[in-house]
Amino acid sequence: MPFSFIDIEEQKSQVIWFVFLFIIFFYFLTAWILLFVVENIPSTTLDVVRGIIFPPLSHTLIAFFVAFFAALIHWSFSTNNLIEKISEAIGAVNIDARDNYHQYLKNIVDEVSVAIGGRPIQAKVIPDVSMNAFALEDLNKNAVIGVTEGLLSRLNRSQIEAVVAHEAGHIISGDCLSTTVTCSLSEVYEEALSGIKRGFSGARSSYRSRGSPAIILIYVVLLFMKLMSNLLRYFISRQREYRADAVSVRLSRNPLALAEALKMISNNWRGQGVAGEKLESIFIMSPRESALDEREGIFADLFSTHPPIKNRINILLDMAHMDDKTLEENLKNFKRVSPVAKAEFKTEAQTKTEKKWFVFKDSQWTGPFLLDELNKIEGLRPDQWIKLDGEDSPVMPAYEDKDVKRIFSKSEEGLGVEQKPLCPHCKTLLTEINYEGAPILKCLYCEGVFIEQDMISRILIRNDKNFSEDIARLAEFMKPNLKTKKIQPANAWVIDCPKCGSQMARQYFVYSYPVEIDRCFHCAGIWFDKQELEVLQYMYENKDKFLNNLYF
Amino acid sequence: MILAILIILLAVVVVALIWFFGQYNSLVGLKVRIENSWSQIDVQLKRRHDLIPNLVETVKGYMAHEKDTLERVIKARTQAIDASSIKDKAQAENFLTQTLRSLFAVVERYPDLKANQNVLKLQDELTSTENKIAFARQYYNDEVGRFNTKIQIVPTNIVAAIGGFAKKEFFEIEDKAQREAPQVKF
Repeated sequence: MPFSFIDIEEQKSQVIWFVFLFIIFFYFLTAWILLFVVENIPSTTLDVVRGIIFPPLSHTLIAFFVAFFAALIHWSFSTNNLIEKISEAIGAVNIDARDNYHQYLKNIVDEVSVAIGGRPIQAKVIPDVSMNAFALEDLNKNAVIGVTEGLLSRLNRSQIEAVVAHEAGHIISGDCLSTTVTCSLSEVYEEALSGIKRGFSGARSSYRSRGSPAIILIYVVLLFMKLMSNLLRYFISRQREYRADAVSVRLSRNPLALAEALKMISNNWRGQGVAGEKLESIFIMSPRESALDEREGIFADLFSTHPPIKNRINILLDMAHMDDKTLEENLKNFKRVSPVAKAEFKTEAQTKTEKKWFVFKDSQWTGPFLLDELNKIEGLRPDQWIKLDGEDSPVMPAYEDKDVKRIFSKSEEGLGVEQKPLCPHCKTLLTEINYEGAPILKCLYCEGVFIEQDMISRILIRNDKNFSEDIARLAEFMKPNLKTKKIQPANAWVIDCPKCGSQMARQYFVYSYPVEIDRCFHCAGIWFDKQELEVLQYMYENKDKFLNNLYF
Repeated sequence: MILAILIILLAVVVVALIWFFGQYNSLVGLKVRIENSWSQIDVQLKRRHDLIPNLVETVKGYMAHEKDTLERVIKARTQAIDASSIKDKAQAENFLTQTLRSLFAVVERYPDLKANQNVLKLQDELTSTENKIAFARQYYNDEVGRFNTKIQIVPTNIVAAIGGFAKKEFFEIEDKAQREAPQVKF
């Protein structure tokens, strides 16, 4: 068996140390060339006659030490907070514990972490409709595996598991570490260059003459450094992807699932233009669609970070004893089992429990009371003792009971520490429900919903919900055309944001999906009246149909 | 001449000793790794044992008529906790898996229960834990397979014999449902 864990550990790539030596080398090279140029600048006519001189050994040594320290500083600067920095660059966020989909991903990542021998791995999510996955590792052995929302909502469990196992393969083989460090190394120049460029363009417009030669020199040097550091990328060999595929198969024992996942990812948009090009090597499949990746030969082997997808899939299909045609047929009939379909709207039922409480009032226990009756008792304070109806339920202060506590937050509106969200139309308490795995607030009376900014993209990407004919007809009626573009929704009914209390503005979600919603300018949360969310979702999920006739 | 032969002999002995120690150490490393992966399985099994009382407690109220099923689950759990040898453990856990499966089949029949958020959560957790057990077992068996191969192949079996390394047992779960060939009846 070629890919056992011990084999992998024995061959653990030592690329990381080459990378360090490489940066020392090219700092030295740069310093030496600078030295060479400076010492050959002719100051008198005699110097011109003398011709080229090489810097003496002592100067070279000094250059070497300077280079060494520069490399050390650069190294420590870019390996510090490695994971956070790169996560931020690609827009990955921590998982939301309240979200069912995220919990589902966390379970899968935990399972895979057990499969590789119990090494803890953190799960992250990129809130993006594209399909891709990545792995990161830093020098302190912290590991992260992340996937995009699009991938999470379109693959089934075994496929996601195969993808996560592939990423785990990168982590245990150690090439994830070198890739992560390399990505971060070249990022430093990128930042510095864009900083200078910004300064440049500002300076040029106002003081044309002040573009000092020193800045130009620094700029040129940085540009050179950046080109050199791009060379580092070529340490990242394409072989590692094959290796990680092999590990994935070994962990999940399911080559077909990985082949299906790769096929589906390759047929989809992988997020081109979202993640920086220099970061491509951390993804399961290059976000760029490059012709080079699909080519073979020495040149492609040298300059591309990912092997041809076709080869990868063929190897996997070989293991599964299947051919490409059958795979495509299978994928055409592919139906995903939604992990949250069962759980939808279930938290709602819990709020209607018929609980009863005893209250310790005037030195004696009275009751039992329903929640409504409790609400009518005069002089009930949060620190009063209460006890749930039932034999062995504990005695506790009223503020510790979740249901009873809600009475106080209602009556102490404005004074309470945490303000409960109210429906902007009916002024009743909003209930937290689970909608396609994401927690949102719903008014049970008018059926409007409030969705926080980062939830909305998740809900749009996921498609677990089936829509009724009414919704389809409504969407058809509201479909975007040139006429709707001109009408501005009237700002007649201004409502307050349930979350932060600022005013919301009535507007279209976007012009291409002209559903009227209320958006809060302060927190960017959105209030959808009854059915508006469903109509928007319906439009988004059938976007081919709706957007085609937008301009015709 | 004799001196030369002596030196060569000495060199051979030294090389052999170095090789011996190297092999011995790698065997010890493997053994520790197996013990470690066994504790991984144990952690997951314990997690499952902890989840079951919660599940039974949540489900109990809804299904008064299914006492048998519940009692069987509880019994299987106690058995699994009490089992000590690897073989007993494998058997007890296998039995527990089967009873849990029948419990979930019963849950499917109660719409109220199927819709209960807590039951769903527990069910998810149990499924995930079961997957983890499977993965931990896979890892353990892989390592055991490696170790057993190593102590039986030719040069290293000498080291194993001297060092007293014995073959390790696989953690096999015989799942009757999976093992039996599907029967076709007309």
